[in-house]
Amino acid sequence: MSSKKIKNKEIRAASLLEKKSTRRNFLKGLSIAAAAGSAALTTGCIPAADAASTEELKLRWQEFFKKNYRLMTQEEKDATVARLERLSKLNANLDVQMGSYPPLDGVLYGYAFNITRCEGFMECVTACVKENNLDRKTNTQYIRIFEMEPGQLDPSTGDGQYYHEVPVDNKFYMGTQCFHCEKAPCTKACPTKATWKEPDGIVVVDYDWCIGCRYCQAACPYYGRRFNWGKPEIPKEEVTRRQHYLGNRIRPMGKMEKCTFCIQRTRKGRLPACVEACPTGARVFGNLLDPESEIRYVLKHKKVFRMKEELGTDPKFWYFID
Amino acid sequence: MTKLNYSCLFLLFFVGLSHSLGAASEKSIVDEIKNAEDRFDNRSVPLVEQVVDEAVLAKEEYQGGSFRVLARKAKIERYKCSSCHTDKPVTAQQGALLTHGDIILEHGSEDQGLSCIDCHHPQDRDYLEDKKGRKIDFDHSYQLCGQCHFRQKRDWLGGAHGKRVVNWAGERTVYNCTTCHNPHSPRFEKRFPATYSVELD
Repeated sequence: MSSKKIKNKEIRAASLLEKKSTRRNFLKGLSIAAAAGSAALTTGCIPAADAASTEELKLRWQEFFKKNYRLMTQEEKDATVARLERLSKLNANLDVQMGSYPPLDGVLYGYAFNITRCEGFMECVTACVKENNLDRKTNTQYIRIFEMEPGQLDPSTGDGQYYHEVPVDNKFYMGTQCFHCEKAPCTKACPTKATWKEPDGIVVVDYDWCIGCRYCQAACPYYGRRFNWGKPEIPKEEVTRRQHYLGNRIRPMGKMEKCTFCIQRTRKGRLPACVEACPTGARVFGNLLDPESEIRYVLKHKKVFRMKEELGTDPKFWYFID
Repeated sequence: MTKLNYSCLFLLFFVGLSHSLGAASEKSIVDEIKNAEDRFDNRSVPLVEQVVDEAVLAKEEYQGGSFRVLARKAKIERYKCSSCHTDKPVTAQQGALLTHGDIILEHGSEDQGLSCIDCHHPQDRDYLEDKKGRKIDFDHSYQLCGQCHFRQKRDWLGGAHGKRVVNWAGERTVYNCTTCHNPHSPRFEKRFPATYSVELD
């Protein structure tokens, strides 16, 4: 072996050592190489080997090695959103507009529900299903409305499956959904830190970090979380195209999902779909930090209570009576 | 035995300590909300959706100042009323259709229901009239409704009754009384719910 060759080898080794390399980068590089070159390597890995095009395959590989949403820089968020938009186009021929817009400063969302006014029409439920791209096959719903006997305030005593003309005399109606607890037990239960409370008070799920263990569902005392047992089925023309990464984008199979106060709407100043759809004005939504907001008026002037307040979960969802 | 007693005391002491510490650090979000007194500029939020329905500036004050209500006149099919109701007797070609025969009046108690001129101005048909004899514009019917339903009106002004249109941020625009309630029979009719629920897994 000539001395020249040895020198070359040394230089190469030195450059390799100097180059900063993390496990993630290494795997990423490996994955892209694998995606481009060897089809044999891809079989049996998470993305299915029958991916239609190399573009799709590449996108899915990159998606697989992305970070937790909270660790991403804005560029990385933009990149994953762009990938998901493209994948949606490739897979389902759907043009979605996905966003990853951050929380607004000085805003903490809160919700109030008037149990005197709700008459059980359930228009909130249909609006929610449509807005949040919920699975039509299993009839997934974030909101539940209970028909209650007078004097009872625990929804478990009510009828959550009524279907008859409403309102029925001498009954009242009480809705539940995710209460976005300030001390949310679900976020503590998650082993992969895939669910957390955003600075504006919304408890969100990173669907791509969720492993579907359902610990959070067990931890939630309000039955606020739902699990995707199958791939969500939504008629193409009914898909809500305006989406948020943490909100109503179509969840993959085996993921946990829940009400996000319609994050894709509320961070743009819009009311959640349930509030907008409510025909009786029983739902009040607004900024808890704004002393002039409607929600603050309700908290100040009405008789309010929260469900299972003694648990100390500090939900940001109040019930009130006229 | 004494050893056990001591350990029991110790345990009690620690339980008590942790409890009092826990109670002290247990700050509810409610306190934080109560202390938030800074004004929030609702107009600083960039909106994607605008209120498309016609709205007018309300003649009353909301806790934060002025606000808008959805207009009513544009929704009344044959407004202006004075195009038929003039000084002369009304001659209607299609009587049944044009003499308000379709209106079912179910407002007020059963034995003492309201009549037309309890709310409508007896002379100037383009306006409403309250019990003090004030002329009230159709767009500002809350001024009329509020004379009996003052509790609802107070809640409506504050935001506990009725609802905002489209946005929680931006300029406050709310539904008028008559946007939701039919003034002639204001109670919502009974009907089937929009959907049904299945049992949770």
